[in-house]
Amino acid sequence: MNLDQWQRRFAASVSGTGGHADFDTRGMRVYANNYRGQLITALRDVYAKTRLWLGDEAFDGHAARYVDAHAPSSWTIDAYGHDFPEMLEEAYPDDPDVSELAWLDGALRQVFSGADAAAVDAAALVADDWDRVELVFVPSIRFRRLRSNAVAIWKALADEAMPPGSVELKAAGGVRVWRRELSPQFASMDAHECDCLDLALAGATFGEICELLGRWHGPGSVAVEAGTLLRTWVGDGLVRRLRQG
Amino acid sequence: MLPSSLPAFHGFGLGLRVPHYADFIATQQPVDFVEVISENFMVDGGRPLDIIDRVRERYRVALHGVSMNLGSMDEVDIDYLRRLRELAHRVDPLWISDHVSWTGIDGFNSHDLLPLPYTEEALDALAANVAIAQDVLGRALVLENPSTYLAFADSTMTEAAFLSALCERTGCYLLLDVNNIYVSATNHGLDPDDWLDGLPLERVRQVHLAGHSQGRDMLIDTHDAPVPDPVWQLHARFAARLGHVATMIERDDHIPALGDLLAELQRARDIAAVAARRAA
Repeated sequence: MNLDQWQRRFAASVSGTGGHADFDTRGMRVYANNYRGQLITALRDVYAKTRLWLGDEAFDGHAARYVDAHAPSSWTIDAYGHDFPEMLEEAYPDDPDVSELAWLDGALRQVFSGADAAAVDAAALVADDWDRVELVFVPSIRFRRLRSNAVAIWKALADEAMPPGSVELKAAGGVRVWRRELSPQFASMDAHECDCLDLALAGATFGEICELLGRWHGPGSVAVEAGTLLRTWVGDGLVRRLRQG
Repeated sequence: MLPSSLPAFHGFGLGLRVPHYADFIATQQPVDFVEVISENFMVDGGRPLDIIDRVRERYRVALHGVSMNLGSMDEVDIDYLRRLRELAHRVDPLWISDHVSWTGIDGFNSHDLLPLPYTEEALDALAANVAIAQDVLGRALVLENPSTYLAFADSTMTEAAFLSALCERTGCYLLLDVNNIYVSATNHGLDPDDWLDGLPLERVRQVHLAGHSQGRDMLIDTHDAPVPDPVWQLHARFAARLGHVATMIERDDHIPALGDLLAELQRARDIAAVAARRAA
């Protein structure tokens, strides 16, 4: 067996997709244990609040199944586990709090070391033609729509307080995650803000966002609603600059 | 082309880990250098880069990687190397180190340091990747002996002979992990005292001291305990032969109070002082 064949068999044996027959069992067991242990530790680390919510036994069971199904490929272990929330969504189709909590855990970790970008302050919000302005967001921003009170659960777990029970949100909403200077942030959003952010991140102009707000609130309230939304986004440090279209 | 020589640095340091970041940034700690895990800082932005900048204001830094995958039959990942080069530009490290091992092949990454048979074929593959890495990074690498849990019947040379040939072919330098020597030798029924024989000791730029644990069948390089007495004793015997070389305590798990690690480091200083007196 040449070295290339040997390394492929060794890798398969370590990851559990191949047998140990070609290798000394005692030694291979150490490498296979290290491999699984390292990946499960990485999942525990990133999805810490999800683990608290599910309990160690249930979490480790899902983590073990994830490791079985997902071999790492990136040089950085930080990239491992991105599909874990999706797997939990399949495992708990009637309990959206579990996968949503995991999404929040994962998103906060991703923004922790994402690209730096200074946010604009309110004084720099000057445009010749607001209708054609596009908002350029800080690169760390991401959001998702939520069906559960996962945000309240996450906050309680972070504060080491008694978390509320899982409930389905009465009104649709979402959560946005971003980094302000060095600190990861998150905030709940109502359905209207979710839609506006979705549109803005897709490259819509401020005028198009105002059109949407007008459909919900009536033309007379557009200026107030749009001003409030823009002040919130800028105040939270989400907007990097304005781009005149 | 062989890289230019890497000046020696004589000092005592610690592996810098998360629980001690604030201590190292707030106050000058009694160390000559710190070693950081390169991959933890090969990021786009955020707190890790802020931390490394502030650490670098106070300390010399060695970059120690675990993912270069030099021993793989796959060619070394150029994107990885470019990211590492960016970090090196930022940090101006004492040196960049990684391991005489492989981490994966064909798109698979085990995130573990996998063993190589000590054969000409493995040496060819490793030396080719080391040459590429040194070229991209623009400097000689410092490479560490890993702990191993498998020995290979088809190995045609000792680990020391393998490393010696690697240094000769590539111009790289060595990081000797005394704990890894002890662990591997014990696991394979070898005498750790023989380990340095045949090694180009002038190529050694750094020594790691760490702890291990007893697994079911063999010693495991867990880095989660104080340096045990047999490793200290082996280090003391080696110190006389190695002379002045950068020495550090490496702890990756069950991280104790900083004072405990500094006390261990003082023991390393004391051993070096005794070795120097004997050599004089």
